[in-house]
Amino acid sequence: MWRQLHNRFGLPLTMAIVSLMGIWLIVMVLLPQWQMIDYSFHPALLPAERGGAKDVWSLTNYATFFRNEIHLAIFFKTIWSSVLVTTLTLIVSYPLAYYLAKVATPGQAALCLLLLIIPFWINEILRTFAWYIIFAFRGPLNEVLLAVGLIDRPIRFLNGDTGVLVGMVYAYILFMVFPLYNAIESLDTNQIRAARDLGAGWGRTHRRIVIPHAKPGIATGCIMTFMLAAGSYAVPALLGSPGSRWFTQIIYNWFFEGGDWNQGAAYAFLLLVLCIVFVTIIMRIFKVGLGDIAK
Amino acid sequence: MDGRVTLNQVAMRFGDFTAIQPTSLEIASGEFFSFLGPSGCGKTTLLNMISGFLTPSEGSVAIGGVDMTRVPVNRRPTAMIFQNLALFPLMSVYRNIEFGLEVRGIDRRKRRERADELLDLVALGGSGDKPVAELSGGQKQRIAIARALAVEPRVLLLDEPLSALDLKLRQHMRTELKAIQRKTGITFIYITHDQGEALTMSDRVAVMCDGCIQQVADPMTLYRQPRTDFVAGFVGENNRFPGRVTAVDGGMVTLDAGLPAPLRGSAASPLVPGDEATLYVRPEQWRVGSASDSSLPFSGVIQAEHFEGAWLTLEIALEQGATIRAHLPQALESAGVESPFKVGSACRLDYSPRGALVLPGVERGHSNEESVDVAATA
Repeated sequence: MWRQLHNRFGLPLTMAIVSLMGIWLIVMVLLPQWQMIDYSFHPALLPAERGGAKDVWSLTNYATFFRNEIHLAIFFKTIWSSVLVTTLTLIVSYPLAYYLAKVATPGQAALCLLLLIIPFWINEILRTFAWYIIFAFRGPLNEVLLAVGLIDRPIRFLNGDTGVLVGMVYAYILFMVFPLYNAIESLDTNQIRAARDLGAGWGRTHRRIVIPHAKPGIATGCIMTFMLAAGSYAVPALLGSPGSRWFTQIIYNWFFEGGDWNQGAAYAFLLLVLCIVFVTIIMRIFKVGLGDIAK
Repeated sequence: MDGRVTLNQVAMRFGDFTAIQPTSLEIASGEFFSFLGPSGCGKTTLLNMISGFLTPSEGSVAIGGVDMTRVPVNRRPTAMIFQNLALFPLMSVYRNIEFGLEVRGIDRRKRRERADELLDLVALGGSGDKPVAELSGGQKQRIAIARALAVEPRVLLLDEPLSALDLKLRQHMRTELKAIQRKTGITFIYITHDQGEALTMSDRVAVMCDGCIQQVADPMTLYRQPRTDFVAGFVGENNRFPGRVTAVDGGMVTLDAGLPAPLRGSAASPLVPGDEATLYVRPEQWRVGSASDSSLPFSGVIQAEHFEGAWLTLEIALEQGATIRAHLPQALESAGVESPFKVGSACRLDYSPRGALVLPGVERGHSNEESVDVAATA
């Protein structure tokens, strides 16, 4: 990479680019992370006590987590719900991406993409709040369902996971649609036609031809959606009930309600480890490397 | 196995654009049939209607006497070989060939047997486990054929499958395709813009232009007796002489095309004096002699000379300013005699009226580089 950059931009510009990237990586990513990890292995102390006799390395903060059944439960629930969000988003996005890539005329595809992107010009909190209004006990969704006669009494959508799941699928759908769309778009349409011509129905054509080809896109979309879902704060805070708390909310509480940064850092680090493990597993399952995803 | 294909008044429209005018055609079972035409003439659209990728706006398609118009692609007894072959790159050769059989629920052992048979047929036995990406262009071609034949289609549709190959391989594959067609007895419907392919392989050829079939005939008839101006110009080269009929004598017509001598040729349809007509002379029909040979009625100046291996092409400007193309056999050169025809030198020439064709009308619509319009501009 160095040589490519060097050939294209010459030495001074290359140095500038690389050192900017280096500074960004070190100062903005590595050092803060390192500080967090360092925090997590130290007890919470008053400023005066720092560096003193009490300031020792310990695993207490992690032990707290593993001893707290509620936090453990919320942690695993967050994993499970994020997997669910990822799966739902994939199910919703795949037909959409396929339609955009292979069925729609260029005009239709452009219109569709525009309709998908415009809502994303609005802040995530506002979009989520829109769902809060829609899902409200006396909100439009309940009114419509009542009017149509599908239900007799309004449903408490915000009481449980429904709101969170719907809100997250909506919030992260683009992060799934775009990698999928890119992957499917690069498939030679004649491959689909050939499969059909050889007698394959639509199900088999997708299973054997389109999905194997789109695998890197699916993996990328799943990884992004999972990370965003697992790390989401606004959606569960707005659309979730006390029964559907997210692990990020616990982290937030440690930092800003409990004022225990060290404990919060340990929890945040656990979430980071979780995400890395998930990404690795997905990459194994889909047999893709980092290079495929970067595409 | 009845592989008859019947097109009954099929037409295809995309909005205001008519891709295929209402067309009827019967292709016999076991025939090697080609659609020949320039790009955009509608031949691929026609193929897509037979394979089922397109539903005709009007009319019907039948295979083996059974109406297929509403039958989806995956249920038709056809198989297609795509222009880019469309082999499945993530699968091995075996899995490619077995795909259609797998779809039909045939068990693994039978599939493998059939795949091996087909690999032998296309002379690639033993390469079943290779990934498709490792094959050469010609090998991919054969695998595409094997994959299509695996589903035992009654009709095999070929969409310019040889266009990506180099010349030698293309010529070799022509022979091979024809041999496979004979061996299997399947109806082959072949789409091409390359007249060489169409003429050498086909039992019959349909020449298409602007969504219309211009003529359906065996290759020899097509070359010798083209029925329209387009066919005369598209299949082989032709020199065109538009003019007016001055005399009719049996099958022979005399034409005034503004040249010093009247032109004579054999008429394909009845003409009377006064009709507008066009006379076509193939480049190989010209007899070119030295400027002093007064037995030859036409005179001109050699404008250019192209060495094409087996023959020499001369571009000769006739006295009236029109330019014709003539092919001369290379016997002189190979005998060590220097060609008397030099660029810039005068010559005289003639053609045999028996070999020249006269068609009614003066077409101006189609001009393409394969035919030379010799409008007299005197």
